[in-house]
Amino acid sequence: MKKSVFTQPTLPYLLLAPQMIIIAIFFIWPAFEAIRSSFFIQDPFFGKSTFVGIDNYTDAVGKSDYLRTANFTFWFTLFVSFLSLGFGLLFAVSADQVLRGQASYKTILMWVYAIAPPVAGLIGIMLFDQHIGPIVDFFALLGWRMQVGVSYFDTAFAMTVVATWKQIPYNFIFFLSGLQSIPRAVREAAAIDCRRPFRRFWTIVFPLLAPTSFFLLILNITYAFFETFGVVDLMVKGEPGNNPVTLVYKVYQDGFRGLDVGGSAAQSVILMILVLALTILQFRLIERRVHYS
Amino acid sequence: MKTTVLLAGAFATATFSATAEPIKIDWWHAMGGALGETVNELAVKFNESQDEYEILPVYKGTYEETLTATIAAFRAGEHPNIVQVFEAGAATLMGAPGAVIPVEDLMTANGVDFDIEDYISGVRYFYADEAGKMVGMPFNSSTPILYYNVEALEKAGVTPPKTWEEFASTTAPALKEAGYIPAAQSHLPWIFTENFFSRHNIQFATDNNGYSSAAPKILVNNDAIKAHFTAVKDWVDAGLFGYYGTGWSDNQTPFENQEVAMWMGSSGSFGGLKQAADFEFSATFLPYWEAVTTEPKQTFIGGAALWAMSGHADDENKAAAEFFRFLTSAEVQYFWHQETGYVPITEAAYEMAKADGYYETTPQAEVGIQQLTLPSGEWTKGYRMGFYVQIRDVMNREYGRIMSGEASVEDAFSIIEEEANQLLERFGKTSG
Amino acid sequence: MQRPRLYDHIVLLFGVFLMMGPLVVAITTSSFLPETIHREGMQLGWGGHAAETYWNVLTKKGGFSENITGILMTQNSLILGLGFAVGKIVVSMLAAYAIVYFRFPLASFFFWVIFATLLMPLEVRILPSYEVVQGLGMLNTYTGLILPLIASATGTFFFRQFFRSIPDELIEAARIDGAGPVRFFIDILVPLSKTMMAAIFIIMFVVGWNQYLWPTLMTTDETLYTLVRGIRQVMNVYVGANIPDYNEALAMAVLAMLPPALVIIIFQRMFIKGLVETEK
Repeated sequence: MKKSVFTQPTLPYLLLAPQMIIIAIFFIWPAFEAIRSSFFIQDPFFGKSTFVGIDNYTDAVGKSDYLRTANFTFWFTLFVSFLSLGFGLLFAVSADQVLRGQASYKTILMWVYAIAPPVAGLIGIMLFDQHIGPIVDFFALLGWRMQVGVSYFDTAFAMTVVATWKQIPYNFIFFLSGLQSIPRAVREAAAIDCRRPFRRFWTIVFPLLAPTSFFLLILNITYAFFETFGVVDLMVKGEPGNNPVTLVYKVYQDGFRGLDVGGSAAQSVILMILVLALTILQFRLIERRVHYS
Repeated sequence: MKTTVLLAGAFATATFSATAEPIKIDWWHAMGGALGETVNELAVKFNESQDEYEILPVYKGTYEETLTATIAAFRAGEHPNIVQVFEAGAATLMGAPGAVIPVEDLMTANGVDFDIEDYISGVRYFYADEAGKMVGMPFNSSTPILYYNVEALEKAGVTPPKTWEEFASTTAPALKEAGYIPAAQSHLPWIFTENFFSRHNIQFATDNNGYSSAAPKILVNNDAIKAHFTAVKDWVDAGLFGYYGTGWSDNQTPFENQEVAMWMGSSGSFGGLKQAADFEFSATFLPYWEAVTTEPKQTFIGGAALWAMSGHADDENKAAAEFFRFLTSAEVQYFWHQETGYVPITEAAYEMAKADGYYETTPQAEVGIQQLTLPSGEWTKGYRMGFYVQIRDVMNREYGRIMSGEASVEDAFSIIEEEANQLLERFGKTSG
Repeated sequence: MQRPRLYDHIVLLFGVFLMMGPLVVAITTSSFLPETIHREGMQLGWGGHAAETYWNVLTKKGGFSENITGILMTQNSLILGLGFAVGKIVVSMLAAYAIVYFRFPLASFFFWVIFATLLMPLEVRILPSYEVVQGLGMLNTYTGLILPLIASATGTFFFRQFFRSIPDELIEAARIDGAGPVRFFIDILVPLSKTMMAAIFIIMFVVGWNQYLWPTLMTTDETLYTLVRGIRQVMNVYVGANIPDYNEALAMAVLAMLPPALVIIIFQRMFIKGLVETEK
């Protein structure tokens, strides 16, 4: 803890003021508004509200569609997180090993991070387009007639591929800097102890990376949950039909497309609770990291 | 320096005294691409036709986005004078009395002649209230029709099918034999649901198809339509029908690429098809089931209407009424019809197009309006249901499940019925 | 001595193919005419129409008012990216300074309020946020676009962490010199934080530039569209009935990814440092 602190009556409040005002207006107010309106049904034009108790919650969760969306979101999150972690690690380990061209590999593999999710989604739908998509042509050669947009599974597959692709560089960067921060002495000792690279990786390097991986997992879950909105939105082309969407997309769809303010707010509150749980988990992990390092 | 200031001042006073400032009104619309350009042309024509009023069209994205933006703006008191809202959003506007001024009232209050009988019958009551007063001004009206590849049908030795029975027994097998996917369509809720009910004159919702209640019940779980979807699914499985998802263009593209021989789309697709297809195509009425009816009726319109929003100054309302007068004139309607393929909404414009010989050179352009002027029935006036955007989403989802074999027709329709009725009930609460 | 790392090169080349392949196809396809793409699919060669397509996207005026062009969208994206990054750094540095270096009664209360913002991303309170911004009459303004995005206090947490790692001796020395809190902040803390500020700036610029959901809802006025928001507009045409302008859609996608990509490539070292440090 800091030993030396200023004691001034007003200055700290002034310093905090901008942050607090922004939080009060754009965070606290909307959050309470979401909770409040989740108990009402609202007429979109005049904002006339009717209190309906927890009907919005039961209506939302009771629909087969909601459970299906939750189910998809779960598997989507799982696959996107693990696949992008896996590829990120694979490339990072190799990039850490090579000497020639390391800088170029590094640059090429990481800059995709700069691409916005909807941009990835746009390129994705073209690559997976039923009529003009080269990836569809490729799978056709292997005997898989992909129909993205028609088959639930095929669309889910395409979305997962695009969302994973966009996230690989992020994990690559973290793993590579994690690997490069392993002290030279440890690496040299490892090289002597285990001659076989695969064994060396699993017995020495991987345990050292484990804390990073756990932490990254949380970040990847957050990504798959929220930031993939752009990918999903582009890939269902605004008309979800029988295509998979994520829970966040559904909040948007019911609220902005369907104009069901109360129903959408109830779903928001459910998501808030989920994020709360996730964040508590995240902070537990950080605390532990701080504790042991 | 001094001279320029002086000149500028003189210029400013000169222009100021020469013309009184025109009354400006805003028009939010959802017509992108080439259609948007035609909308802009309309606005320019109106602005040039007189100097009292000036209209400014603004493109607001898709139909859904336009409606959402309008509602947000309405609550902030910054809504436009005129907004284009599509058929599925009509109930939302009608369910908020006081948000819009019925066109009929707007016109008569501002001394513009209005007679609902001037409008062609398929269009007349679609955006009207229960009493038959026109509330929204039909703007871009289209109806689903069947387009076909002339050469493909010749090769297969068939003519376009009048009934689905004919399609199943004769047309489709022959086209398949000739190497085509016989048919596809672009919008299951619109073409195979709403218009199925109208074409076969079957009631679609309780309470007068929804016109006389805020919370009707949908009657979609009907044996005739279930038989239709069962047949379509069988055709899809047998390679007699193509289903490419909910995307409009995903289903249209294979027709343009001559993989699909017949395609059901909007009469308004005509302009785009002319551009994209480098083969001869023609159009005809939507097929019907002889087993269901032997007297097929007219179809519903699709597309959107223009709504005059309340809360504006009288002179601006007057400007809106003048714009509607301009828009419904035969010349403008004929221009719009030719440019876009949407149907002319007045009898006069239709007559003008006929007299001009337009349909002799392009007979396909007449199919939509002919279909809209077929005999009407008890249930062909239109339908009105709230949260209809979501109801269509539910339909699309369940139809997708039918097509991919995840759900049986029976289950899918009972889910649609159940969820749609839940939504309707919720909607009833918002406006009740 | 290391033996030649053939295996690693193969893995990395596969990675390069995986990451770059889609982008290369996107770029080459954007040089073809839409009719070609429509009939023959995505293209690998060079179509020779790149110049006009990109010129069109950058300068063709859209809308009836004819005042939105690719250049203007780029400008809006820049304003969003820079405004977001600068705003976030300023606001969170000040708040972190107050929390770390001052003793005052409500300090821990404020800390927990700030902490709470981490619990709910904008996505979950999107509809009410929209209503609040609408109620304040800030729809279609840069303020309404940027401020709600700043509300999440990730930056404050980062600076708090960083300030706590600065040795206490510094502040003692400053006190002896007679520096007050304002001078201490400007003369000592800000210079010390320079690299960190730069690193955060790069990350936040990219994050701000890439915002999609919020700008999509917030801006209905075409003159405020960002490039990423513009992608959606292009999509509407893609969904519509005419031949979609595939080439222009892809060209816009390329334009939208270019600036953040350049920033990342040029300031690579700082970017990695910022990313790895801030997320910890």
